[in-house]
Amino acid sequence: MNLVTFDAIAGQTLSGISVGMVLFLIAAGLSIIFGTLKVLNLAHGSIFMLGGFLCYGFTSTFVSIPGVFWWTLLAAPLIVALVGGLIEIFLLRRIYTQEMLYQYILTFGLILIIGETCKFIWGVGYHSVGIPWPFGGNVSLWRLSFPVYNLFLIGCGFTVFIGLVALMRYTGLGRIIRAVTYHREMASALGINVPKVYTGVFMLGCWLGGLAGTLMPPMSVVALGSDMEVIIECFIIVVIGGLGSLSGAFIGAIILGLVDAFGIYIIPKLAVAFGFMLMIVILIIRPWGLMGKPE
Amino acid sequence: MNRLVIALSSHRLLLLLVLLLFLLIVPFVMNESWVSLVNEILIMALAGCALNLMLGYTGMISFGPAGLYAVGAYTTAILLTRYRFPFAIAVISAPVLAGIIGGVIGWFCVRRSAVYFALLTLAFAQIIWTVIFEWYGFTGGDNGIVSIPIPEFFFTISHCYYLTLIVVGISLLLLWKIVQSPFGKTLQAIRENPGRTEFIAIHLRRYQLSAFVLSSAFLGIAGSLFCVFSGSVFPDYAHWVKSTDMLVICLLGGFYNFWGPIVGSAVYILLSKMISNETMFWMFFLGVIIVFLVLFMRNGIVGFLSEKLAPALHETSEPDLSERGQ
Amino acid sequence: MILETQKLTKSFGGLTAVHDVNLRIQERELVSIIGPNGAGKTTLFNLLTGHISVDSGRVIFKGRDITQLPPHAISRMGIGRSFQRLNIFPRLSAFENIQVAIFSQQRKSRNIFARASKLARHETEAILESVGLLDKRNVTGGLLAHGDQKRLEMGIALAVEPSLLLLDEPTQGMSPKESGELTQLIQKLVRERGLTLIFVEHDMNVVFGISDSIIVLHQGKILFEGQPDKVRKNEEVQRVYLGDEKGTWSSLLRE
Repeated sequence: MNLVTFDAIAGQTLSGISVGMVLFLIAAGLSIIFGTLKVLNLAHGSIFMLGGFLCYGFTSTFVSIPGVFWWTLLAAPLIVALVGGLIEIFLLRRIYTQEMLYQYILTFGLILIIGETCKFIWGVGYHSVGIPWPFGGNVSLWRLSFPVYNLFLIGCGFTVFIGLVALMRYTGLGRIIRAVTYHREMASALGINVPKVYTGVFMLGCWLGGLAGTLMPPMSVVALGSDMEVIIECFIIVVIGGLGSLSGAFIGAIILGLVDAFGIYIIPKLAVAFGFMLMIVILIIRPWGLMGKPE
Repeated sequence: MNRLVIALSSHRLLLLLVLLLFLLIVPFVMNESWVSLVNEILIMALAGCALNLMLGYTGMISFGPAGLYAVGAYTTAILLTRYRFPFAIAVISAPVLAGIIGGVIGWFCVRRSAVYFALLTLAFAQIIWTVIFEWYGFTGGDNGIVSIPIPEFFFTISHCYYLTLIVVGISLLLLWKIVQSPFGKTLQAIRENPGRTEFIAIHLRRYQLSAFVLSSAFLGIAGSLFCVFSGSVFPDYAHWVKSTDMLVICLLGGFYNFWGPIVGSAVYILLSKMISNETMFWMFFLGVIIVFLVLFMRNGIVGFLSEKLAPALHETSEPDLSERGQ
Repeated sequence: MILETQKLTKSFGGLTAVHDVNLRIQERELVSIIGPNGAGKTTLFNLLTGHISVDSGRVIFKGRDITQLPPHAISRMGIGRSFQRLNIFPRLSAFENIQVAIFSQQRKSRNIFARASKLARHETEAILESVGLLDKRNVTGGLLAHGDQKRLEMGIALAVEPSLLLLDEPTQGMSPKESGELTQLIQKLVRERGLTLIFVEHDMNVVFGISDSIIVLHQGKILFEGQPDKVRKNEEVQRVYLGDEKGTWSSLLRE
């Protein structure tokens, strides 16, 4: 049995990249939040999960409305962003000046609060969401069968990445965000309302997390515990790519996707640990990540 | 009120003895489930104090103490189950192995500071979790190890309790000694200003690593005790959520006081049990409490009480100064 | 000669912070280093104490080449330092601040068995007294007044029994009265303990008041060095300084 055939490698690569794009969708929000606010938001996985539950909630309640999934895609991330805004204004704002330990613990508290709220509203079972028209079915690529929806997700990942880069680089809003990220005091002195920008960026990060959470269910299940599973992957990505770098998150996500894909292929048992080992290696030899800047 | 406080603080030793006496008679005055509860509180108190040696005293923020705790638990479990080691050796091996692994992990971690240090501890702890979870043949994987052959003597809840009490008591005494020693003061100086300590000829990394190893060893003891107490071990003992529990215990009680994690453990476990009896959504309330703590009571319960009682306590230290006759 | 540097050089990126600096400091000398901001003074100190690595050149202390040694080893050899930005242990009491430094000096820092409160009391109190903080020994470091914190800082530096003391802007942020007091304290300590002192200062009264010799640093190079009188009259120094310290220089020239 020849493991190293072109087919096999191509297959795993494609698989790895698609997983990576999906991971990027989730991690992008965390990366932005960390980049600008310098907050390690443990609750980002919960934000993602909330998006997933809202997706299920809306699509199952308004089943009869045509295109309900797309309406949900519009509404759910906005709701999640709103929740994020409330969190930022009433809770996070008070601890920006505190040590990272307090942020970590506070956002952990939020994981519990959001998680239990989801449990309260939607119960403990697994829920699924049907793949929306027109992305059902499979397609053949390089002799492999690929779900069309997966390709749609990859497309979304790319779009989000390009959209964010464009936002940051070419819009006035992006300029303001960058000013606040890199030169906070200067930005404040120039009259920029820094607290408002912080709130806005946090909401944007949550919107992205909610978007990812809404896009994910057709491809997998909506369940409690996804918040915990996801957040650690996000951390790994953000560390590999560089805390605070968007392109770093993109690259990091793809790397993690590939590592996971090939890891399962080579040593299935320890595949899960490869991500952590990569994280450790980066933290030891180049802690600011592939695209980050040393301080 | 002031007189009460003055009386209390000058009779600290007396208070301690009263507490000790109470702990000694617990199995006689409480029913079995309460004895188990106190047993659990004692073990978590040790874990919290072990973590706090790094956290509150040396200023090293670790996100992965549960990893070393699990190493201790699994060491005892595997030695008893697979290799039929004598009980005493299985238990003593726990801190030894936890200390060694802590030394290896710590060596890598202390090379980095702050956020990176914390993330490294998290990553290593997750690796430990993964190894435990995946190595089905050796660790039982996600089934864990159950029905661990603990000596029959400890099947009785009160016997097990006394074992815990003795081991935790001795461990806390050792930790107290360490914290009160020149080494302990040096650790605190490192917490206050790591850079400055190098200018007073302190080899920073070496001391941080020592704190890491000591902390790991005591975490190993706690893990081992829990293994004996519950008779089983599971991969979740190493999970980052368990690590966060330990962090919350330290926060709840207060980082900057030796008694902080002890108080924190008692309050946390009692509160959890009480609330979980009332509602199946008790973690929600836990989350609320955690958020409340971080926002309004950063120095924990003990810290909060110290601040409130400070004015009264200062009156007792005044006499000290004038005694010196300067 | 207690300290010698040979062609000491350090660059950051494209910027040369310290260039070909040759120092020769004699024992018990009181040397001050002056120069405009950015002249490389703090970088020089950091190079001497091993906190940043040298690009080229050597540092020789008491005849030993210490260029490659780590900071704690250099500190152990007898070079002490105080800092521009306050560098004490805020949550420890004044007593504990000094005590922990004495533990290090007595090689007791590794001791986990003794009770710290019983050790090194006399030595700690002696240092507290010599910096005038004995009556404030139980005050938390961070709560002391700025001037007292500076004294505490000096106490910590002294506690490790240095033979060479580097002071980085000791009177920064102080009123004239406080500066005067601190300067007197410094002189007293130097005399009592036979210390060699190198200090960086902007306050010209202090510099010209107590220095045995002055080194003028400009853009990382030694512009001029010598006794205070000669430095005062040197034209190049005046030119370099007039742009930065107009007020102080011309007022001194009027003397």
